[in-house]
This record gives sequence, structure tokens and C-alpha cells, in this order.
Amino acid sequence: MSPRQDRQPVVTGIGVVAPNGVGTDAFWKSTREGISVLDHITRDGCDHMPVRVAGEVRGFDPESLVEERYLVQTDRFTHFAMAAADMALADARITSGDYSESPFAVGVVTAAGSGGGEFGQRELQRLWGQGSRYVGPYQSIAWFYAASTGQISIRGGFKGPCGVVASDEAGGLDALAHAARAIGRGTDAVVIGAAEAPLAPYSLVCQLGYRELSTNEDPERAYRPFTSGASGFVPAEGGAMLVVEEESAARRRGATVRALVAGHAATFTGASRWEESREGLAQAIRGALAEARCAPEEIDVVFADALGIPDADRAEALALADALGTHGRRVPVTAPKTGTGRAYCGAPVLDTAAAVLALEDGVVPPTPNVFDVCHELDVVTGRPRPAELRTALVLSRGLMGSNAALVLRHGADTR
Amino acid sequence: MTMQISKLTIEELAALMKKGAGITVDPAEMGGRPEARFDEYGLDSLGLLGIVGELENRYGRALPQDADRCKTPREFLDLVNNSLMAGA
Repeated sequence: MSPRQDRQPVVTGIGVVAPNGVGTDAFWKSTREGISVLDHITRDGCDHMPVRVAGEVRGFDPESLVEERYLVQTDRFTHFAMAAADMALADARITSGDYSESPFAVGVVTAAGSGGGEFGQRELQRLWGQGSRYVGPYQSIAWFYAASTGQISIRGGFKGPCGVVASDEAGGLDALAHAARAIGRGTDAVVIGAAEAPLAPYSLVCQLGYRELSTNEDPERAYRPFTSGASGFVPAEGGAMLVVEEESAARRRGATVRALVAGHAATFTGASRWEESREGLAQAIRGALAEARCAPEEIDVVFADALGIPDADRAEALALADALGTHGRRVPVTAPKTGTGRAYCGAPVLDTAAAVLALEDGVVPPTPNVFDVCHELDVVTGRPRPAELRTALVLSRGLMGSNAALVLRHGADTR
Repeated sequence: MTMQISKLTIEELAALMKKGAGITVDPAEMGGRPEARFDEYGLDSLGLLGIVGELENRYGRALPQDADRCKTPREFLDLVNNSLMAGA
């Protein structure tokens, strides 16, 4: 069965657990003002690693947001996702009554890049320190990529289509497309997003082989994409969950339509082949625009991938010019993630959340720590820029070669 | 205190449920209705498997193979304690 074109997916709720804020209001306040929270890594066991700077989620109190059984049975990345899902559902004003008669109408989709590394490290230490009899059985589910989708589904009683997208960092946007397809096929609501917790020592060691990882020790200089000082990216933890609903179902229950999920496309151009990502990203942008029936000139703001590797930054600037023409050099471009770091699959979902909030507020948030842009792009730096925003383009690339683009329309826009 | 193996009590079972699976149970309540199923308390099969593993490490011996399939606290305590007595 092919998706029905008349079932429009819309964003009705946002929940955020980010280095610069737990809760959508705190996140947006710091994002809008361009506050950078990048800092030295404080996690135990990480002090001897060549990566010194990250975006840690420090304001998260799991005991107050997640029930004790989930604290024991699941990893930090699932704690983040569960808390963000709760916030998104509350933000969407979905109460237990809204879908309790139709649990199969609500699905869950998350994207995951690394699963439950912290939980896994603890159990592996027991395995090699004490023996296999000391490994707890919850290891079998806690470090699995699918854990957050499963636990959110069980906890909320959501029995609709559930899935996990494991397609690299850009999977955060692909998960939105997955949710949109589920809505096209008849599902009324999908709890969708991604949250990651990749800063435990084991997880960090797994990342040390990435040549794109910044080893700059200065939090203000470690992540400066689009500048001559670009020296790689800074990792982060956290992410966001959204409630995406079919428009008429959302309106029927009186929900506020925050934004329309208008178009998406994804391509693949190979691991760390950044020059080739130009073509892949441009093709993803064209595909997303086509699905959204959106002309290049209609894009009012771009949330860039902004990897911070000169080759990759150049490829992204050229991809925007290839796909948007001369408009690619004029459209405001921002990368709020330079103030928080890249939370892998969580990063493009945080950008999507920021894009929805930017559309609502009529302001382009700045790109923290970035000055003196050396590409033909209008990167918003320093302070927020007021603008009338109707349509936003969100871009994401993964270290393994995935490229994705997403077009969002203002919630007041109907087709 | 000697090293002799003593019977597993309802209080110890409640403590194991809390430690291994994050399930808070009032031992008095569980003792008052020992036929209530573990899943009514929120303890799933992985949780019970973890408790079996913890006890096997503690006692230094294997429990019967179907220990992790017990449905109620009474069934589990009876099986564990009969096994301990038989092996003592």
C-alpha cells in the first residue's frame, strides 16, 4: 500500500534533553541567544583521552524524570529519550485519553548511532573482571540500538508501527521520514526522535578513530565550521523527541500545529568522502524540495550540517549553491550545534526542534564560536537575526557517508 | 555468624527485586499475598533471571533450571528453599 498524499504529517510536540538545556524552553533560550556550553569533558575515565572538549548534558536529573525500574534496566541514552518523549507528549497536550481507545494509532520511531555504551561498559567490566555469571540480563536489551523505541512504546502503551533507523547521524532526519510514511499509511501519531549518550569512556574510545573529531583543547576554538580555523567536530550527548501527527487528527483533538513536515530525501556517498558529499547533499536537497513542492527561493533559513572539516564545509557550501542556485549564497545559514556539539543522531533532531522554534519565533539563532566565515554563505553569527520565516531546510551528514535533507513549513501554512 | 546457607526470605527477595530490576515492593504486602504474580509487581522474566543469577553467585551453586520461570513469589521461594535444603 502506498502512502496517501492527503495525510499531511505535522509537528505538534517537542521535547528536548540537550547540553544547553533540559526542556524546550531552556534549550530554545540558549539556542536563540547563541550561548555555547562546550566545555572540557568531566566524565570519570575520560581524562587521559585526546578528545578534551564535548557537549555534556549536565542539567539532567534522571531520578526525577524516569521511574526507578527504567533507571536500573536501561542506559542513559534511553533515559534521555524517555524524558524527551514525556516532554514532547506533554507539549503536544496528548493525554492518556486521546489515544487510549486506539493504541494502534500511535507509533514510535527513533534513530540510534551507538546504543547504550555506558550500560554496556559496566556489564563488560563485570564480564572480564568477575566472569560471565556476573553480567546482568538487562544488558541484552539496554545497549541495543532499539532500546529507546521499545521502552517508549511499552511505557506509553503505543502499539502502532515502531521502528529504529540505524542510518548514521543523518538517521535523525530519516526517522522523521519514516514517521511521515507511517502517517501516510494510516497511523495517526508517531513519537519520533533520537537521543544519544556517547561520552562514557568506552563510547569515547570507539570514536577516537574518527579523523573528523576535534582534539583542540580550547572549548571556544574546538568546533568552528566554515572558518579557516575549522579543526573537526566536538561530540555531544542528548537529543530530542517530537510528536508528529496527521494534520486532521491533530486538529480534531484541538492540538496546535507547530510545523509541517513537508519533504525529505536521503543519499549515500561513502565514509569520510567529503568532496563527494557535495553531490549527495545537493541531491538530497533537491529531493526534499521536490517532495515539499518547494522552490529554492522559498527556503528562508538553512540549518547546516556544519561538520567543521574544511573539505566537508566546502562541500556543504557548494551543495547549497548547486541545489539552491544563487539563493544558496543569500539564504541565512545557521549551525546552533557549534554551541552544543554534535549528538550524532540526536543532532539533526535537535536542529529540527530549533528550526520549528525559529519558524514560530521569526528569528534565526546564531552559530556560536564562529566568526570570519571563509565560504560563500550568509552564516548567521554573533547574535540572533529576526526574519520572517515560512520554510526551513535542515541538513545532516554522517561520518559513514549518509546525507539527508528535510523541509519544514510554518504551522500556519496549509497546502 | 556462620557461613551456613539460610533460607531465602520474602524480605531478601524484595531487596533483590529492588537491586536487580529497580522494582520497589513492600515485603509485608508481598508476604501477605504470595500468590500474586511477579508481573503484577512489574518484574519481568529478565528481572527474575537476574535474581536467579545473583542467588547462584551468592550460594555458589546452581538453582534448578526452571527457577527463572516461576510465576509467583511463593513458587519461587519454595523452589529455591527446597533446592537449598536438598543440597545442604
